[in-house]
Amino acid sequence: MCGIVGYFDKSGSVGSPAGAKLLAMLTALGRRGPDSSGVAIWGEPADGLVLRVKGGQRRDEPTIREIIRRLRRLGRTRVTAAHGSLFRLDIDKAEPAECVAAIEAVAPDVEVVSLGRQLEIVKQVDAPRNLETEFRVSRMTGSHGLGHTRLSTESRVDLSHSQPFWAHGTPDLAVVHNGHITNYHRLRRIYEQEGVRFYTENDSEIIGIYLARKMRDGVSLAEALEASVKELDGSFSYLAATATAFGYAKDPFCLKPLIVGESPGAVTIANEEAAIHAALGGGYRAREAGAGEVLTWEIPRRQSARPPRRRRAA
Amino acid sequence: MRLIDCDALSVRQINETIHRAVADGEREVHLQRPGARHNLAVAVLHDVRIVIDGPVGYYCGGMSDGVRLEIHGSAGWGVAECLLSGSVVIDGNAGNGAAASIRGGTVVVKGDAAARAGIAMKGGLLVIGGDTGYMAGFMMQRGRIIVCGNAGPALADSMYEGVVYVGGEIAELGNDTVVTDANPEELAEIRGALERYALKGPDAFRKVVSGRKLWNYDKKELDAWKAAF
Repeated sequence: MCGIVGYFDKSGSVGSPAGAKLLAMLTALGRRGPDSSGVAIWGEPADGLVLRVKGGQRRDEPTIREIIRRLRRLGRTRVTAAHGSLFRLDIDKAEPAECVAAIEAVAPDVEVVSLGRQLEIVKQVDAPRNLETEFRVSRMTGSHGLGHTRLSTESRVDLSHSQPFWAHGTPDLAVVHNGHITNYHRLRRIYEQEGVRFYTENDSEIIGIYLARKMRDGVSLAEALEASVKELDGSFSYLAATATAFGYAKDPFCLKPLIVGESPGAVTIANEEAAIHAALGGGYRAREAGAGEVLTWEIPRRQSARPPRRRRAA
Repeated sequence: MRLIDCDALSVRQINETIHRAVADGEREVHLQRPGARHNLAVAVLHDVRIVIDGPVGYYCGGMSDGVRLEIHGSAGWGVAECLLSGSVVIDGNAGNGAAASIRGGTVVVKGDAAARAGIAMKGGLLVIGGDTGYMAGFMMQRGRIIVCGNAGPALADSMYEGVVYVGGEIAELGNDTVVTDANPEELAEIRGALERYALKGPDAFRKVVSGRKLWNYDKKELDAWKAAF
């Protein structure tokens, strides 16, 4: 199974309670898979980049020191949070690709979990209820977010194989997936020949990479999702988002559930209505997405959660 | 009338409470705050009225015989699956596989029914007030489906027997189906069914039945092999 959830506040305000909503939705879907869980939230834009990094199997402290040492060659870097082997880093200005290369060079098991101006992914090996204990997810705010609770069926259970997945190398793009991508191995061989590094053996990892490569060629998220329905095989319901758009795609045989519940203020999407009910309570009309259906929403122009700075008269 | 607040109860407790109330002679049960949970009011084998005030999850009312179930909300996958007799009426939309494999009774979805509505029906009536998705009536064997709105692709694919009436557009017919117009007698029957559930349909309906070409398979027929492989 696996449970996927998405929340988008139509105001576009990065101060919206995306974390609390996603947590309530994931808790309602927890029985779909307790192996691991996580959320991706698009919050207040950073001045530089925000990174979430997995420190690796070696003792984390020397690893993280080495990561910082290398990143400091690129820009001013500081550690802003640490949860087990997952670290949050801020860097004031740097090229995303250079950051990723510098971090991945530290050790083979060091991974960039997320990178962007707005995107932050936190995930863990445990049921959704522990997300709150570990990361205080209910306090995370953002205009939109995705969540996942996993029942592992084809690859190992660890932090790397948990979802959401960041689309490696593309800032602010992430996905959550329920299903199986059956042409995964064929696509992976093609991408690896082109130099893409995969962190895991989880077939879901390929969706973000697929979308990123489409969007690098200039298409929108909506167009990339449309193309994926034809080019990805298997059974899938998945959600994807960037800093500016949010949407879903469903396989042409409609094999995985996906319910959309839209209220005047928010869009919620989940495998089961129980999650939508948990987020909105009422005032929405639930609808199952159709076979091969793709739908996206544009995030309205961002409003800062911070009070506007007062400008002194000249 | 027995009132059950589902909020603090497990699904098993809710169903046990329903079954106990019915065994005690109760003829009307209301469920409040169902919270879109799965497997509510399943296997109710008596002529009792059950009203659910809110959305339900998967398989609501499944395996029932004689129940009169009203859902004031939407329903998840497999609502009324394998119903034997009685009625299940859903005010909102239904997820995939509504009325799957029913053998009798009536299932009414006043909103839209998603993919594979009425799959493998073996009798009974499925009425859809709105649209229906991909592969409605797939491999149906008996019974009737009335769709007031539009039907999605692969409608009634590989049906053995039974009838599907469609008031709106048919995106694409399934394999081995034949389309005609519903005759005045059939239209009167459709109108009666719709009126019973306060639904408004269009004036005309098209009728989809099996072409019966897939009933038998001639192993010497080369074209069939080509199509299969």
